[in-house]
Formats: sequence, C-alpha cells, structure tokens
Amino acid sequence: MSIRNAAPELAAVTLPLLPEAAPDAIVALHGHETIRRDRFVRELCALAARLPAGRPLLNLCGDRYHFALGLFAGIVQGNLSLLPNSTAEGNLAALQADYPDLVCLTDDAHSAGALPALRLDTLLAALPADAATPAMPQIPAQQRVACVFTSGSTGRPQPHFKTFGKLVRNVRAQARRTWSTTGGPCAVLGTVPFQHMYGLESTVLLPVLGGGILCAPRPYYPADVAEQLARLPEPRFLVTTPYHLRNLLASGIAIAPVAGLLSATAPLANELARHAEARLQAPLLEIYGSTETGQIATRRPALEDLWLLHDDIRLACEGDDCFVDGGHLEARLRLGDVVEPVADGRFRLLGRHADLINVAGKRSSLGFLNHMLLRLPGVRDACFCLPREGETARLAAFVVAPGLSAATILAGLRQQVDAVFLPRPLVFVDQLPRNATGKIPAAELEALIARHITRKP
Amino acid sequence: MNATPNEALEREVAAMIVEALNLEVEAASIQPDDALFGDDGLGLDSIDILEVALVVSKRYGFQLKADSEDNFAIFASLRSLATHIAAHRTT
Repeated sequence: MSIRNAAPELAAVTLPLLPEAAPDAIVALHGHETIRRDRFVRELCALAARLPAGRPLLNLCGDRYHFALGLFAGIVQGNLSLLPNSTAEGNLAALQADYPDLVCLTDDAHSAGALPALRLDTLLAALPADAATPAMPQIPAQQRVACVFTSGSTGRPQPHFKTFGKLVRNVRAQARRTWSTTGGPCAVLGTVPFQHMYGLESTVLLPVLGGGILCAPRPYYPADVAEQLARLPEPRFLVTTPYHLRNLLASGIAIAPVAGLLSATAPLANELARHAEARLQAPLLEIYGSTETGQIATRRPALEDLWLLHDDIRLACEGDDCFVDGGHLEARLRLGDVVEPVADGRFRLLGRHADLINVAGKRSSLGFLNHMLLRLPGVRDACFCLPREGETARLAAFVVAPGLSAATILAGLRQQVDAVFLPRPLVFVDQLPRNATGKIPAAELEALIARHITRKP
Repeated sequence: MNATPNEALEREVAAMIVEALNLEVEAASIQPDDALFGDDGLGLDSIDILEVALVVSKRYGFQLKADSEDNFAIFASLRSLATHIAAHRTT
C-alpha cells in the first residue's frame, strides 16, 4: 500500500489482538482441554516473549491450536508469519534463500527438516500454569502479520502481505455473513489444511477473531469427521471442500446436528449442495476468494447461483479482466476468474482464466508447473493439461524426454510441487504440436488428450 | 519378510487400489512394503486416500478411522492397509 492512500493518522491506529469477550469465554478445544480466553492470552503472550525478535516464522505446527498460538504469538512479538503454498522440500529451500533468517515453529521432531526450529509444544509445556493474564496486546493496524504465496507463472512464488487491520476486517466480514447464516457463532471443525488461505481464515481466524470456538482435531476419514463433530458443543459448524463433503455423504455415516457448513476451493455442484442441505438439515455456505484477495463473496448454492460480495468490496470488469478493491483488500486486485457483475453486489462466476488450477484446495498455475517440468535435466519439452474439470480432476502432462523414465521425472517434480499436482498420467511423446509462435493450439492439445489419455467414464 | 498371513488380502487390496484409482501400474507389481502414500512407492495423495477409504468401507463393511495423530499412517504400505482391514473387516 502506498503512503498516499493511507490517512496519516491510520499509521498510529492499533487494534486489540482479540475482540471483546468475557475472560472465561471458550476460545478453543484442544485434546481434552477447554481453553478459555484468559489462558489463551496468557499462553500466547508467554510464547511471544520467547520468539526471536524480528525473524520471520515458518509455522509448521500440525496441531491447529499450536498453529494458532504460534501465529498470534508472532503477531504480538512483531514476527511475520510465512505461509508458503507448498511445503515440498525444494520450495522450503527456496523460501529460506529469500528469508535466510527464518525460524520454523514445529510441534514434532521432523517437519522442519534441516531448517532452524523452535519446538512450540515444548515451550508451551514449560510455561508456568499460574502466571497472571497480561493486558490485551494492542496491534498496529498497519503491521504486516502474514505473508502468503501464490505460485505465479514464472516459477517463482509471489508474496502477498496481509496487515493486521485488513485481516481483522476480512474476518469480521466473514463472521457477519457466516454467523447470520448459522444463527450465531459456532464451534468450528475443519477437514482442510490451515496453512492455506481458506483453512487459515475459516478454521483459525474465524473462530478466534470472529467469536467462535477453534477445534484442534483434523479429522480426515468420514467416520472420524462424524465422531469429532459429535464431540463438539452445539452449535457446530463444519468447514470442508466439495470433495470431502461428497465423500462424507457417500459414506452414509450418521452425522450429528450442525448449524451450518462451509465449502470452498472448488465449485460446488448445486445438486451436491441440495443433497447436503437435505441430509444435514443445515445451510451450506460457499466461499469465493483467493490467496491474494482472501474471502470476498459467498453464496448458498442450494438456493442461488449468484455470489454476494462481502460488505464494502467493489467489483469492476474491463472485458474479461475483473478487479476488486475496497473492504479489507490491500490493493486493487485482478481476479483469477471471469465474472459478470449483476447488481446489488452480486455477480455470476463464468469461468477461470485458463492458467489457474485448483486441485483439492491447493492452487497452482499451469505456467508454474510447466516451468518446473521443463527445468528438469533431460526434459526437452513438456506441457501440463487438465483433461477434465470437476471435484476430482487430475492433471496430466505430456513430455518429450528421450532416455528419462517416468519415475525420474516424477521424483524431480516432487521436489518442487505438491503431490496433488503430479501428472496422472505422464505421457511420453516424440514431440509436442507447437505452432509457429511456440504455443500449442487448444485443438491440438485436445487431440493429443483424446489420443493418449483414456479415462473411466 | 516372508509370506504374511494377509498375503491373499494384500493382493486383493492391491487390485482394488489399482482399479479404484485407475492407476497405470500392475497390481502384482506393488510389493507389501512399498509405500502407498507420499513421495516414494505408489505416491498416493490425500485425495486418493479418501477414494480408497470409500471403496474399503463398501467392500469390507467398516469405516476407516485414523489410529493415531497421523491420518495416513494406515496407508504407510500395502501391508499396513491389509493388516488394518483384516483387523476391522465385518465382511
């Protein structure tokens, strides 16, 4: 943000770390423990005092409560939290090259690999239990608290900084929309990773900053999701994805009453949304957003096709390029999708820009993936593609790499990209049908897919 | 290790995985101790695992549940998955 845009007095504005609430309000459920607000503040302030001043944090905690403590302790101490889009080995090495003084926060012995690490769980266990609760920390609205990364199209992750003031504003807008759908704040259970924007906002920030209850478990199998849900106090809220949701419903397991459900990361079919609402007797809210923008709109797909922007977000389109600004946004940002504004803050989603892809809630771009494939030794030409759309869509890739085995190529790719982006199948060809400008025409790519990739119906 | 008590089940499960995920490998080529999940071996990821879990629940009559903090420990190898199924199956 440029100084010109900020009112001079804004630089001095501070916000309380947590919103107003009673000291004994429940903030989190962790294992068999109920964490009340005064304990949460006490623990995070004590941890903050033990963080190395000024060094960026890479929070690799696998436990959602530990992760939240590390994030909020970093905010108090002024440490920037780095949230890479992938924790693949090569990606973390590149991150360390850009942030040589980064320190990992972990709660196990192996996640940090060779990077310098602080064991948050050990620090936590060593805290005195009877310390007084400190005053609520006041955080400058302009303080950069988190840096999220998008894959970019050039092979270099692009950083996006989030300031505390904007993050709080974004979560408040989400909380208003979400809790008005559920009838009030809920205990929030998530099946999604909280190191990514959607899980971070909806399973960590929404409960902690939006008056709900953070629930530490990360259930994955439908039976575990059902069991953890049943353990929560009512009202309950489930944060999930179309893929997890379809699987949960298909399992036929009985599910405890929920006040609402949240879905994001991939388009939710209206039929699945209606089925889910009918089975669970609760509203299902879908979120629209991206790493750069955070959440900017919602809809209830069982009832409506149109999206409703969060308060104060403005949308404007120039041809196929659409931009949003206002609200919590740090700048005017281009959307990764083609959308059609309707009226009253509503819009229709028409489609994605071709380059962006999203598999199981993880975002990347074909440009980035192609780059990663092409830089492997022995790969002469290569092209990723998405043979079909849908919740379980998988990428495929064509390579020209005489003498290389699929195993070698996949091993090289795994160093750089998340496993969900590995091509399935990886097809070896003699050459790719590039035209005079070096591009592969869409029709040629279609023909290549039809010729080489057979799929189950 | 030599032959295991679950060898027949391991073969059955290998075939089931290959079929459920439409993999381009021969089921017979999957060794009992090959990693199923993660960076080595078969390289299944979290999406595949939910898919296989659903097929397991339909075929063997029980719902998969994580035994530990690690949701994917069951999928460490064909052997671990077959052992888990043998211990919990109802059909």
